[in-house]
Amino acid sequence: MCSTFVVPSVRHSSHVIEFPYTRSLGPVYGEFLTGLRDQRIIGIRNRDGSVLCPPTEWDPKTGEALALDFVEVGPEGTVTTWAWVTKPTRKHPLDHPFAFALIQLDGADTAILHAVDVASMDKITTGMRVTPRWRKERIGLITDIEAFVPLESK
Amino acid sequence: MSHQPCAIIGIGQTKHKKRRDDVSLPGLVREAAQRALDDAGMNWSDIDAVVLGKAPDPFEGVMMPELSMADALGAAGKPLMRVHTAGSVGGTTAIVAAHLIENGIHERVLTVAYEKQAEGNAQWGLAGGRSGGMGAGGIFAPWMRSYIQHSGAPEDIGWKVAVKDRKNALKNPYAHLQLKDISIEKVKESPMLWEPIHFLESCPSSDGACAMVLTNEDGAKRAPKPPAWVLATAMRSELGQFPGRDPVRPQAGVECAHILYDSAGITDPRAQIDVAEIYVPFSWYEPMWLEGHDIAGPGEGWQMTESGATEITGDFPVNPSGGVLSSNPIGASGMLRFAEAALQVRGAAGEHQVDDATVALGHAYGGAAQYFSMWIVGASLDAVAQNK
Repeated sequence: MCSTFVVPSVRHSSHVIEFPYTRSLGPVYGEFLTGLRDQRIIGIRNRDGSVLCPPTEWDPKTGEALALDFVEVGPEGTVTTWAWVTKPTRKHPLDHPFAFALIQLDGADTAILHAVDVASMDKITTGMRVTPRWRKERIGLITDIEAFVPLESK
Repeated sequence: MSHQPCAIIGIGQTKHKKRRDDVSLPGLVREAAQRALDDAGMNWSDIDAVVLGKAPDPFEGVMMPELSMADALGAAGKPLMRVHTAGSVGGTTAIVAAHLIENGIHERVLTVAYEKQAEGNAQWGLAGGRSGGMGAGGIFAPWMRSYIQHSGAPEDIGWKVAVKDRKNALKNPYAHLQLKDISIEKVKESPMLWEPIHFLESCPSSDGACAMVLTNEDGAKRAPKPPAWVLATAMRSELGQFPGRDPVRPQAGVECAHILYDSAGITDPRAQIDVAEIYVPFSWYEPMWLEGHDIAGPGEGWQMTESGATEITGDFPVNPSGGVLSSNPIGASGMLRFAEAALQVRGAAGEHQVDDATVALGHAYGGAAQYFSMWIVGASLDAVAQNK
């Protein structure tokens, strides 16, 4: 038999590897996200007169350039459809069950995707009126809106 | 294969820069596409289909960007496809677009390629999102060393290419690097990145895009400016590693060149091609591809560089635009070679125009020198026959 070999304690070192991508936003997405920081939701007027929110840089149907004709919409809006998230993961916007919903903000002709925070699945309906719950510290990201909540509960 | 001729009637590119933080990613691509449409005298509604190319998605971290760019490219309700063959993708994308015309599938095709390198880190992206990747220069450096040893080339050949292409770039307002005081001394004294490649023998990292409008014979007749005609296209690929592979003169590159010359009716490429835009991201790749595509004989590529044959005023100008060594929005770099070749035969290259250019080669390679895309464009459909 060989002599007793004493195993040294296993040493650990931990380090986080990450690569932060950057995004240049341009004149339209930049206006939208800067608006969120200031607690305003910005849409853009399409060539046919309709208001697109979130705003696009070009007419989504024809590809033609849009004038930078920004329109403040909402903040209240109507749920047009939704899906319930039963078990949120750590990457979801809320740590308890919630709905992802398409919300057509007042004054807009298109819907924006965001979270709706209600206690249970039977508390959300298509056609329900919602309003944003803003974060106190806003930095110009879509998550500056923590979630939308039913209008009456605000 | 019988097909109808394909004409290039619109060409657009961005001013290539280290960082274009004034536009979004789609906004950058749109800028080149709008310029190509303007050049073709067309509107967005005139386009039948869009073919888009870019290098690996991890470069910007935007997966399948062709989907979210549909509005920027006016592609709603139209066929939109994306092409990917690593660094050669810009060339391959143009070839796929040309085939749609040649086979009569569409009459007016917009083809676009781009990279916005400032949004990510290409070396990190090439390593599949892991740290410690050696980068493209690290892969190519030993092959360049091998070329130098076998060809007996003097060490200043690489420096000469680096200076020539940067001087050419001073004549191209779209080129990224504008190094007014570039010199042999500066190149050889710049830091060694991957021996034998110095910093100034390497391509920059650029934000930029390139676009072209392609059409058939009828479309070319209606175009406001003279077209360039696609006389031949070729693509070949091989594995990046296998026993017995010659990475300095990859067989796929040899075969790609020969199928290209044969289908264009070219029997003597050095004599019958007036100007070439060749993918040279590191200086030594000029002589390596001159030999690797049988434009020069074995061991003679570096002599073309040394004698000045590859200068704008030489008998075989290479990269009058300044090439990849002066602008490298990776996904667009191949299409820029193809588009610059077309600009030359249209007589529209401005200050870097080669006199009397009627037949031009556009070339791109990618991966571990394993994907090749090339086209021959002409000022007329019989341009090769007229060049002897």
